[in-house]
Amino acid sequence: MPVRTLKYSKFLKETATNYQYISYNRLNPPSGSPHGAINYSFQDALRIIKPYIRSRWNEQMKVVMPIAAYLALFQIIVLRQQVNEWVQVALGIVSVIGGLMMFMEGLKLGLMPFGETIGYYLPIKLGKRTVLSIAFILGIGATLAEPAIGVLKEAGRIVPPEKSPLLFAMLTNYSHITVIAVAVGVGAAVMLGILMFIYGWSLKPLIFSLLVPTAALTIYASTDPMLADIIGLAWDCGAVTTGPVTVPLVLSLGIGTAGVIKHKHSKRLQGFGLVTLASLFPIATVLLAGIFIRHFLALDIAEPSHTENLISSLSSSTIFEGILLGIQAIIPLVAFLWIVQIAVIKEPIHNQGIIKYGILLALLGISLFNIGLSYGLSPLGNQVGALIPAAYSNIQSLENSPFFSESVGLWVCLLFAFFLGYGATLAEPALNALGITVENLTNGAFRKPLVMISVSFGVAFGLTIGVIKMIFNVPIVWFIIPTYLVASILTLLSDERYVNLGWDSSGVTTGPITVPLVIALGLGLSNASGAVDGFGILAMASVFPIISVLSVGLYVRRMERKKELEGQ
Amino acid sequence: MGKGNITVLTDLNLITCIVQKGAADDIVKAAVAEGVQGGTIHYARGTGIRERLGILGVAIESEKEVINIVVSTEMTDKIFEAIYFAGKLDTPGMGIMYVTPLTKAATYIPPHLLRENEPS
Repeated sequence: MPVRTLKYSKFLKETATNYQYISYNRLNPPSGSPHGAINYSFQDALRIIKPYIRSRWNEQMKVVMPIAAYLALFQIIVLRQQVNEWVQVALGIVSVIGGLMMFMEGLKLGLMPFGETIGYYLPIKLGKRTVLSIAFILGIGATLAEPAIGVLKEAGRIVPPEKSPLLFAMLTNYSHITVIAVAVGVGAAVMLGILMFIYGWSLKPLIFSLLVPTAALTIYASTDPMLADIIGLAWDCGAVTTGPVTVPLVLSLGIGTAGVIKHKHSKRLQGFGLVTLASLFPIATVLLAGIFIRHFLALDIAEPSHTENLISSLSSSTIFEGILLGIQAIIPLVAFLWIVQIAVIKEPIHNQGIIKYGILLALLGISLFNIGLSYGLSPLGNQVGALIPAAYSNIQSLENSPFFSESVGLWVCLLFAFFLGYGATLAEPALNALGITVENLTNGAFRKPLVMISVSFGVAFGLTIGVIKMIFNVPIVWFIIPTYLVASILTLLSDERYVNLGWDSSGVTTGPITVPLVIALGLGLSNASGAVDGFGILAMASVFPIISVLSVGLYVRRMERKKELEGQ
Repeated sequence: MGKGNITVLTDLNLITCIVQKGAADDIVKAAVAEGVQGGTIHYARGTGIRERLGILGVAIESEKEVINIVVSTEMTDKIFEAIYFAGKLDTPGMGIMYVTPLTKAATYIPPHLLRENEPS
């Protein structure tokens, strides 16, 4: 019997899939006229939009959900307290995710094209001085558009005005001065950063020349009881500034400039150092603003309605405020970028439709984010912070507090802070990118997992120390000066590469989710434990990664040398 | 015969698939699951479809990924189908793929196949 063969693929083709053949000549006939719009059905539209939204939604959800869930579960399981107004908090968190999603997409479509064009043409067409002044304004505008900056106003609701009038004033009545001080600080940092790129300056001396006056200002402030309250705020502001708007926008300008004006330095570290400068400058400017307000402006504390009850003060006015805040943040920056591109570098704006869509999206996104911040993240962080002391001490409003014996309760708090820092940092998408960069820059000596673990460990340790500060009510100066001293010594010992990596790594850790949560947590905790101000946790979360990355860097260097010696 | 041996592979096609940035990994995964050896992905930028989709165009990335997969002629249809469905190519703006016949190719060939192929 002859064997007949049948190709399996032919079998499948016949059985599984229905093939139809259409000539491409019919789809694209030789009429010579350009094609019109594509007609699509409603279902097709859904099929296009669904993956577009889902991928972007998931991206933000991966960052927000674990942290929010961690806080909520800690409160429910360990502290055995229900989340107050949990429906509102949940809705707020959803709106934070949605807002962040829209904002990031809008940023990419609406703002980044300006950054790229301006960064490329500005240094070609204009002199150094113009570039620097535009960079200065850009730094200010970008800072004002940073989503995390809204948290400063939010924090004002929680600060008790009678305890720290200056701090309260700087967050409420004079909050615009504080925000402008931060923005001017970033503007100055951007200018210095571009000069650094152009001339190939090394970061190390710059760090020291910034740290010494900042430390001097801090020590001066600590001698004045009113000014001492704002030290934590000032050092925290450094962490607020380096977010998703400032860093890419300013980097594209900086790298464009450095690329045009060629220098002999190796380009491997290009772009590094700017985050560090932008975190250090605002500390000094906010301290200066505080000194200015303290001595020249009246402290009006007759506004206690703000602090009565966080939840009840949220109303339609909060929504309106969130939208207003968003418009204030985005419109000036966009207008400035638009004017620079049209009038200064005289380049046409391509794809205006998509850019306008992006701007609208950014606007809606940041408004939604602000609203979600007020309804979701801030109350959640604040609640958990307020409940934490109940773990080890008696709080009047809670019947069965303390929940644990004093020592166990303290450990629970510290472990909570530690894992919060560790988890939140590992979830930050920027950390992964940093890990890859570092591994490349060190030719694989500093492995990516090692980078990620040392940064996360640093943040975790920093948060823990910050919580200790709150619980035992120690002035923040006692933590800031020694830790930065240690960081300085390590900086002296390390070589330029690791200094850049270590100092920049601290900026990675402070995304638009971590900052509001940690600040709210700190304020809640400080109110409950009777500490004067709730700031300073972020400052600690910024300095410890520097220490951990630099120490691991030193260790890696030593192992490298040892290997080289053995090899010879 | 000259200095060395080259064994030339025949009976193969190239499937090229152009999709939006980020979609390539799923497609290659689907193709590998169907039995291809691997795929090459490179980045590109596309024009045309975005403008013609009107307002929906914003949902289409202008950055693309181009996937090249070498397949045996017998597998071609199977992989073609797998990619079509994994990439949802029946939706406007998702992408396009095509099959090109290859005349010859060369790569590492496992020794046992070489031995079988030797004229005895």
